Amino acid sequence: MNAIQVPRMPNIALVGNPNSGKSTLFNLLTGLRQKTGNFPGVTVDIKKGRFRLPSGREVELTDLPGAYSLYPTSADERIVASVFSDPSDPNYPDVVVYVADVTHLEKHLLLLTQLLDLDLPILLALNMADAAETIGLKVNTVKLAEKLGIPVVLLSSRTGENVSKLLSEIEKLLEGNRPPHKGFYSLNEQEKNVSEAIRINAGTDNSYRSLLLAHHYSWLPKLPAPIRQTIGAIVFDKQFNSLKRQVDETLERYDRFTPIVQATVQFPPRFPSTITDRIDVVLTHRWFGPVIFALIMLLVFQAIYDWSSVPMDFIESSFGWLSSALKANLPEHWTTQLLTDGIVTGLSGILVFVPQIAILFFLITLLEEVGYMARVVFMFDRFMRRFGMGGRSMVSLISGGACAVPAIMSSRTIGNWKERLITILVTPFITCSARIPVYVILIGLVVPSKKILGFLSLQSLIFAGMYVLGIVAALGTGYVLKKIMRTRELSYLALELPVYRLPHWPNLWLTVWEKVSAFIFGAGRIILIISITLWGLASFGPGDSLPSAEVNARLEALSRQLSPEETENLVAAYQLEASYAGRIGKIFEPLIRPLGYDWKIGIALFTSFAAREVFAGTLAVLYQLGDAEKDITDADENETKATLRQRMQAEKFTDSGKPVYTLATALSLLVFYALAMQCASTLAVVRRETGSWKWPLLQFAFMTLMAYAGAWVVYNLFV
Amino acid sequence: MLRRYRTVENLKVRECARALRIEDPFLASRLTAMGLLPGTLIEMIRRAPFGHTYYIKADGVRLALRKEEAQSILVDA
Repeated sequence: MNAIQVPRMPNIALVGNPNSGKSTLFNLLTGLRQKTGNFPGVTVDIKKGRFRLPSGREVELTDLPGAYSLYPTSADERIVASVFSDPSDPNYPDVVVYVADVTHLEKHLLLLTQLLDLDLPILLALNMADAAETIGLKVNTVKLAEKLGIPVVLLSSRTGENVSKLLSEIEKLLEGNRPPHKGFYSLNEQEKNVSEAIRINAGTDNSYRSLLLAHHYSWLPKLPAPIRQTIGAIVFDKQFNSLKRQVDETLERYDRFTPIVQATVQFPPRFPSTITDRIDVVLTHRWFGPVIFALIMLLVFQAIYDWSSVPMDFIESSFGWLSSALKANLPEHWTTQLLTDGIVTGLSGILVFVPQIAILFFLITLLEEVGYMARVVFMFDRFMRRFGMGGRSMVSLISGGACAVPAIMSSRTIGNWKERLITILVTPFITCSARIPVYVILIGLVVPSKKILGFLSLQSLIFAGMYVLGIVAALGTGYVLKKIMRTRELSYLALELPVYRLPHWPNLWLTVWEKVSAFIFGAGRIILIISITLWGLASFGPGDSLPSAEVNARLEALSRQLSPEETENLVAAYQLEASYAGRIGKIFEPLIRPLGYDWKIGIALFTSFAAREVFAGTLAVLYQLGDAEKDITDADENETKATLRQRMQAEKFTDSGKPVYTLATALSLLVFYALAMQCASTLAVVRRETGSWKWPLLQFAFMTLMAYAGAWVVYNLFV
Repeated sequence: MLRRYRTVENLKVRECARALRIEDPFLASRLTAMGLLPGTLIEMIRRAPFGHTYYIKADGVRLALRKEEAQSILVDA
């Protein structure tokens, strides 16, 4: 993409098993210098960041997904296998830092020995030195380094112990200062034949890499078709049984490195791991387990709703104040309106979400960090399989409560394609944080704030009902898709349940910061552009339609003997109707009238298709324009929300004169927003994760259809 | 068909046994990579709330397995 070729920055890759503490090391080394991503425009497959070596040289750090082996069983692991199968891959590292949990070294060395055979600069970072010390585990790093033939550093990514030593070892390797290459695994006769034939025909540089091609030729994404065919012919000709060879090779490797571990690591007499066991007696208990899970989810729900209200009110009122102050002090001109009604309103619509997004991601990351999510996967695997998914889908669905985009990306750990696809397709039904403000406005508008049975608020009950609707829609659609789709691919769980750990706070803050900034600068940019465009469409009209609308309004006002304030309102309403936005809304009106919506809601729906969080902002812009005078005379800026509500309540259909926002309309809108696919970012990420436009388009179609049908039914039930 | 071996699925809670081999080749590849090898000591810890899923310990490593996976691992006990 770069027009000018600059000398490439050295690329260091972090590789290791899941739960090796790799990401903590990544955060420690790069801090805030990470490429935040996961939203369109800044999407990255693999996390990257930068850091400086002791010499001051800047290098790029790649955090490859956790993997057990170069023989992948999930999309995540495939990324690792495909990077190392191809030295011309842009992510192929100059130096590999292999991270292993020193307290489980005998389980963490398999992938390292595979990388050793690829003959690249590599060093072993023995992580969790702090935990090893606590349990009294000792390791002879000098001997281990000698046996493996690579530098070994014992460190702790949590305390930062010995990290400077790691940096200087990386530097040495980058300078080409590496011990002579020692292979680890010796290929058997058949493997040698296959590998040699592939080396001659595909021009690979290394015998083990050639063997990897024999295992992976059928799915490697960048392999040219002729080479794919050639390797296929070789594999067939030599009767190479990939799965059997994988198992035999793995066992052979264990046979070789287990003695090395035994000779270098001194295990404590009794492995103290009872804390995790005792916690799991309760948390994964047959009855208590699911109950505790439900309570935790309730707590999360309560937190989003409750903790965020103070900062949200503060943000909203500050922007309301800013807008009024700007209007009062700047000359009356269209640029002032652009600033106040377009930009400030739009910005407020973005920033008001930040508290909720931050709290949600904080809590979900916390559950993940301490190791609880794996238990949820274990407990709900069977339950989720009834709906065409697996236990791992729970992680996506729960994360979907914050935002579908990272939730869909987290589906990469699901090995079975059908389960993964269903998870991707139904995750957007889960009530994400962008739906919350839509629900808040609509519920506040039409549901009376009364209590049922003396303590249950009707409003929060409906709010909770919206969450239930999202879950039911997700599971129901999963069930239908399970019946429709066919696969013979094997599905598995085989999940490691990590030891419970106290959360590492820097990891949490970094994740929250990453998600929030991705939202502000990624999704926020889209929202702001839409707000400004919308303001333009609502403020201008074709030809002299706006001035003539004003004349008509004033004539009508005169004949009806309206007060000056009412006259201004009428003028604004007529002008909005005559504007571009009004015309677009009118085009949509016949389509949405059966659902009980007028053309203003039509505009809101139309703009929401890029991002549903625009709904509130759109209504604010539209009704603000319809009543520009009132805001300036409004003494109490804190009532901006209330006035928007009042304006919406006063809104009437122009032809029939009936109020627009009745209970039926609001419920119909709620159902529409619960079910509709209104998020360009999600569609983009589905396209990327599934590799074709077929699935996002299908998803868009069935979700919109369900939304329309659901909204129509609800409207006609209540009208 | 006569079953000559027991599998992890047959283990009672708290019962231990050594793995002999894994019948399904795909699962064998996955499980060996995770450290469950022939000879590994397996302990059944508990069953999941909705059944069909097992919580086991293999050489101190905690694993969650589905019924089919547990049936695929032959044990000596």
